[in-house]
Amino acid sequence: MKFDPSSFSQSAIESMRRQVGNSNAIIAVSGGVDSSVAAALASKALGSRIKCVFVDTGLMREGEAEKVKESLSSAGVQVEVIDESKKFLSALKGVSNPEKKRKIIGKLFIRAFEKAAKSFRAKFLVQGTIAPDWIESGSGLRDTIKSHHNVGGLPKKMGMAVVEPLRELYKDEVRQLGAFLGLPESLCQRQPFPGPGLAVRVMGSITPKKVEVVRKACAIVEEEIEAACKAGKMERPWQYFAVLLPVKSVGVLGDARAYGYTIAIRAVESIDGMTAKASAVPFEVIERISERITRQLKEHVNRVVYDATSKPPGTIEWE
Amino acid sequence: MKVAIVDFGSQWTHRIHRTISYLGKESKILPVKAPLKEIMAYDALIFSGGAIRVGLGDVDQTGNARKYLDNFQGPILGVCAGQQFIGLHFGGKAQPSPGPEYGKVELFVDDKDEIFQGLPDRFTVWASHNDEVINTPGFKILAHSKDCSNHAFKSLSRPIWGCLFHPEVEHTEYGSQIYANFLGMAKR
Repeated sequence: MKFDPSSFSQSAIESMRRQVGNSNAIIAVSGGVDSSVAAALASKALGSRIKCVFVDTGLMREGEAEKVKESLSSAGVQVEVIDESKKFLSALKGVSNPEKKRKIIGKLFIRAFEKAAKSFRAKFLVQGTIAPDWIESGSGLRDTIKSHHNVGGLPKKMGMAVVEPLRELYKDEVRQLGAFLGLPESLCQRQPFPGPGLAVRVMGSITPKKVEVVRKACAIVEEEIEAACKAGKMERPWQYFAVLLPVKSVGVLGDARAYGYTIAIRAVESIDGMTAKASAVPFEVIERISERITRQLKEHVNRVVYDATSKPPGTIEWE
Repeated sequence: MKVAIVDFGSQWTHRIHRTISYLGKESKILPVKAPLKEIMAYDALIFSGGAIRVGLGDVDQTGNARKYLDNFQGPILGVCAGQQFIGLHFGGKAQPSPGPEYGKVELFVDDKDEIFQGLPDRFTVWASHNDEVINTPGFKILAHSKDCSNHAFKSLSRPIWGCLFHPEVEHTEYGSQIYANFLGMAKR
């Protein structure tokens, strides 16, 4: 049978009540679909015994923290925002190994949650983990493709038990569940954003400056692709973003020699994130993105390329 | 009807589970170490893909899967590494592909045997393999691609099928139909 959000939510709420009992729980929200849907389920299951925590890692999209507060409070969920951006950025400074980045981030997330849990006397941590997260994190015969911060990135010792109501679902099912639970369409259809945030969109070693550059580039890609969709030039892809490459190349800006970094544009079609195809973004849209990025970020970027790789062999995010 | 999905460690093992649930059938993912007795309680068996390279020595990591093949008499479908494992077990040669395929592949159906029933002569499938299996005695090839001669096969003596591509992923056309055709071969 196809996915049935009504019976799923009923049994998820029941089993969450059983698992958590009379204890308190916190839920980690990121502003994405998965954690928002998990939060909506948890608030139905646990009422005032659940507290939402949003950690600002400094690795979020432009204006993300504000957006999250707004969209969740419009759904009637109260959120505590913890600003940990300095901690995250300093722990990641100079780190280039993608698995190391993910492990550092997973650990810092948990430390922040543990702090929030203490004051609320929470014994449980609810997470919006979905099937691809634990699949890609690997175990036993299954290779680790990426340690998702909410699974393979979790430290072994943790002061809370984890509750994961969406573990068996894929993104398309989570979207249906969100719509069933009454979350706004714009939230349910929001494009995926990686848990470790922009840290995995800066290839090579991380600096606050590079995070800033890729944040701006991502915003430009989002604006231009969304504008093109609105104008009927293309369908909205499953996911669309920019990646900052550590590759430098020679350019010429106003007759002066330039030597700057490269941005790759990535846009893919998918249903569940487990396979994906590069989107056929119209060339004029790619051109327009390239133009804006190289002008607005001219101090850092002088070349823009388009990623035509499917998944497999690529993954959707570059790290 | 109950289907056992034997997990060779694929990224898409759980997608097989989803595909079968969407077809209204019950399935369970089991590790390769599951005792034979447990497997015998099921009506159909699927071997998932996985990163293990059965032709290059990793066949040691397939637990009790050889026993399943020797004793389970119901329908069996092997996917990717699962197909290579089946071919290898029955005397074929699993080896690195001269033309490995990742992502989109055009599949040519050579024989519209049970699992390809009602499907077109050629369609798009998604693959992800470094290796393939060739020279499989007692098996008949059902499909190929430009770079790979054995993309699907069937046993001539038992209800055993295999495909190198992945019918469980969203980007494979008619994938769910292939599973439906396969499950149609199970008795209950």
